[in-house]
Amino acid sequence: MEEVKNVIELKNVTKDYGDFKLDNVSFAVPEGTVCGFIGQNGAGKTTTINLILDVIRRDSGDITLFGEPVNKDTSYLREDIGVVFDEMGFHEFMTGRDINIMMKNIYKNWDEEVFFDNLKKFSLPAKKKCGAFSRGMRMKLQIAVALSHHARLLIMDEPTSGLDPIVRNEMINIFREFVVEVDHTILLSSHITSDLEKIADEVVFIDGGKIVLSGNKDEILEKHAVVKCKKDELSKVSESLIVNSEVSDYGAEILVNDRHAAENLYPGMVIERAELEQIMIGYVNGKR
Amino acid sequence: MKGLIIKDIMCLKKQLTTFAYIIAGVVVISILYVLSSRFGNLAKAGVALLDENNNMSQVDVKNLGSMVLVMFMLIPIVSVGDMLNVFIADGKAGFFKVSASLPVSMKKRMLSRFLTIYALCGIGAVVDIILALVLSSITDIMSFGSFLGIIISCASVLSIYSALVILYCVILGYGKEQYAQVFSLLTIILSFVIIKFSAFKSVFIQIFIKEQGFDSGTFWKPLDYFRDKGYVFLIVALLVSVFSYSLSLYIAERKRGVI
Repeated sequence: MEEVKNVIELKNVTKDYGDFKLDNVSFAVPEGTVCGFIGQNGAGKTTTINLILDVIRRDSGDITLFGEPVNKDTSYLREDIGVVFDEMGFHEFMTGRDINIMMKNIYKNWDEEVFFDNLKKFSLPAKKKCGAFSRGMRMKLQIAVALSHHARLLIMDEPTSGLDPIVRNEMINIFREFVVEVDHTILLSSHITSDLEKIADEVVFIDGGKIVLSGNKDEILEKHAVVKCKKDELSKVSESLIVNSEVSDYGAEILVNDRHAAENLYPGMVIERAELEQIMIGYVNGKR
Repeated sequence: MKGLIIKDIMCLKKQLTTFAYIIAGVVVISILYVLSSRFGNLAKAGVALLDENNNMSQVDVKNLGSMVLVMFMLIPIVSVGDMLNVFIADGKAGFFKVSASLPVSMKKRMLSRFLTIYALCGIGAVVDIILALVLSSITDIMSFGSFLGIIISCASVLSIYSALVILYCVILGYGKEQYAQVFSLLTIILSFVIIKFSAFKSVFIQIFIKEQGFDSGTFWKPLDYFRDKGYVFLIVALLVSVFSYSLSLYIAERKRGVI
């Protein structure tokens, strides 16, 4: 059997800001997959991405990209990485043409033709200053740049946040096209779980600087379930299965971490498939 | 790295447009000034100054003329070479994140910023050298050699200032560029005063304490030094650049997100 190659690997990575700590974060992103990095705002997604890219210095732990440890001498690894941040980062006076001039003198594999094709494909005017772009256009510009140097890995921090559903859908289609190539991988951070549900193969869920859940998306969805019952039936459900429970006047909704066990143990209760959002909210509220 | 230098120069694009107007203005004014000091009202004013002030000699009047001309000459270099705008623009755009995600090491990112300084000082110096060639051919106020000495000193001082701006910007981080500017200027002024303390003291005592007025011997000394010792400023500029680069790199690698 062919061994699964991890494009990104974090082992016990820690970063302490005093008021916030990324605590012993470990996870891996296999090659050829789309990994959804989910968590609420302030959970530590951006910090983790910044650590992966070496934008900030980690306190401890190991990070590898394409099997090589990330340190100050491995900037060449970024030749193969396209990055999309939550904010554009390019100067507002810059046009697509300016960015092309800058990038072709930075990336060895910069493909001018692909870049201008991408601009065209995303309906971005090459001569217009990007300061005049809408949020969606700014994000598309970053994606156009990320896709124009033949990157094998895309790391994106909340690229769909604040965008309308049509643009979000367009972006998801772009990501889908990117991962058609077998060695192309995406790490996509978002708190919009519906986007990830559409595209992600793997899911890493972070909360309060700690990894709460990680693994194959379908397995996670398969494993979790929402049990609906009457209020007085709540006590019958085993504590070890409950991730979180919410009681209202109409009854109780319980997020359980073992769907099959719940189905066997409580045949009389309504057991429904949990969505990523419900799982995320369940874990966050369960911790509280 | 080349791409980052291009980006830095793009950040100064607006400044470079202003620079073009400044050059045009300086060229016209300098030529008018030189012609006037030779044939026009400024020449008459020089004669009047000699008649009215017994302390002044012909050399002093000529030096005063040179000083005004030097002021004009300094404008192109000073106007082109302010690195502060690059830091302000990068901070505003959040470019440090983008630059950190590029396949360029911290060493090269820092080096590109320093190379931008030299490119800018170079542009200013070239413009000034051309202007010096023109002016020295139509006036005897200053020789081309003296002009050149002043240009080298001025470009060196500017590159010292820019190197310090980079260092302070790295230390203080984005959003505090104005402080970096003030600290850089203070560092240069204090260094000058400390190194040339005796010369500054004697000029100050003579003019303000003893109220002896203008004495050409003391007064022109620091300016003569600036004109004749361009190579000293150049060496200091190189040393400051190396020091600032090394320290900025050391801090940036530990702090991250500052360049």
